[in-house]
Amino acid sequence: MQTPENKREPCPDRILDDIGGAFGMGAGGGSAFHFIKGMYNSPSGFRLSGAAQAVRMNAPRVGGSFAVWGGLFSTFDCAMVYARQKEDPWNSILSGAATGGLLALRQGLAASSRAALVGGVLLALIEGAGIVMNKATSGIQQEGILMEDAATMPYGVPMGLPSQVYGQSVPETSSGSEAGSGSWFGSLFGNGKKKESDDNSGSKTQILESFDAPPVPTYEF
Amino acid sequence: MAANNRSDHGSDENTRLYNPYQNSQVPINKSQYLYKLPTSPEFLFQEESLRQRRSWGENLTFYTGTAYLGGSVAGASVGILTGVKSFESGDTKKLKINRILNSSGHTGRTWGNRIGVIGLIYAGIESGVVALTDRDDVWTSVVAGLGTGAVFRAARGVRSAAVAGALGGLAAGAVVAGKQVVKRFWSNHFILSPGF
Repeated sequence: MQTPENKREPCPDRILDDIGGAFGMGAGGGSAFHFIKGMYNSPSGFRLSGAAQAVRMNAPRVGGSFAVWGGLFSTFDCAMVYARQKEDPWNSILSGAATGGLLALRQGLAASSRAALVGGVLLALIEGAGIVMNKATSGIQQEGILMEDAATMPYGVPMGLPSQVYGQSVPETSSGSEAGSGSWFGSLFGNGKKKESDDNSGSKTQILESFDAPPVPTYEF
Repeated sequence: MAANNRSDHGSDENTRLYNPYQNSQVPINKSQYLYKLPTSPEFLFQEESLRQRRSWGENLTFYTGTAYLGGSVAGASVGILTGVKSFESGDTKKLKINRILNSSGHTGRTWGNRIGVIGLIYAGIESGVVALTDRDDVWTSVVAGLGTGAVFRAARGVRSAAVAGALGGLAAGAVVAGKQVVKRFWSNHFILSPGF
C-alpha cells in the first residue's frame, strides 16, 4: 500500500525524477499550446505544417525551462530537508523562493528579490491548496470509519474528531459506558437499542441486537 | 540439502556482498561482508518478479531526467571550453565571467533540450511497446530506438528519418548489450549496487 509518505523516491533520486517530470510536463503542455498557436497563425492549407513547425521550434525550449525550474527547486528542497532534518511545507516555500531568486540573479538584486518573492508566494499557494485537499480527503475517510463503529462508541463523542483522539477513545468503548444521551450522533444509530439492553441486563439470556459486546459471564451456579 | 551446498567463493552471479556494520562506527576490527544479498528486487513469487518493472510514469521521468541532465552537463562543459577559447586580450575579469556564463548557458540549454526531447520520445515509445506487446527485452529497446530516431528526424524527410531510425535502433541495441556485458564483468570482479 502506498501512503503519502512512501510514494516519492528518496532524496537524491527525487531530483532526477523531478527534472524528468518537469521536462515532460513542459514539453507536453508546450507542444499543445504551440500547436494551437501555430495552427492559428498559419495560412490556410498550411496549418498542419505550420503548427508542427511551431511545436518543433518552441516545445523543447519550454520543456527545458520547466526542467531547469523543477531541477533547481528539487535540489533546494532536498538540501533543506537534509539541513533541517524534517519534511514540512516550509521547505517547499523557501525552495521556491530560492529558485526564483537564483534564476533572476544575473539581472541584479532588485529583480532577484522580486522573483524570489513571487516564487515563494506561488509555492505557498500550491502547498496551501495541497493541505486543504489533504484535510478534505482524510476527513471523508475518518467519517467512514466513525460511521461503522458508531454503535460501539460512547455517545458523547462528536463526529469529526482528529485521529489521535479517536485512537485513544476506542479502547474505552463497549464496556457499557454511556456518556450522555444528549448527543444527536448517538441518536442516529442506536439509542433505542441501548435502552432495550439496559432493561434486559438482568436476564441470563438475551437476543443481541446491538453491537455491544455480549454481557460478561458470571460464574454463579 | 543439496541446494545449500553452493561454494562460498567471492560472489555468486546474482548476489552482492553486504556488510551489516557498514553504516555504524562499531569498533569491530574488520567489519567484513557477511551476507550475500540478491542484486535484483526481492519478490515472493518468481512469476511476479518476471512481470514487475518500472511503471510508465517512472520510466518517463527517469529517462527524460537522465537525458536532460546528461545533455545539459555535457553542453555546459563544451560551452565553458568555447567561452574560454573566445577570450580576447584586454578582457576584464567581469567580461571573462560573462563570456563563460553566456556560452555555457546557451550551449548547455540547447544540448539539454535536444537530448531531453530524445529521452522523452524514447521513454514514451518504450513504454508504449511494452504495454502493447507485453514483453520487455532487447527488441523492445531496439524498436524504441528506431522509433525515436525516426520521429526526431521526421521533419527532414523520409530518407533522413529512416537513417536516423536505423542509427537509433543500433545505438539502443548496443547500449542494452553493453549493459549486459558490463553487469557480467562487474559482478565477477566487483560488488554491484542494488539498482543496477
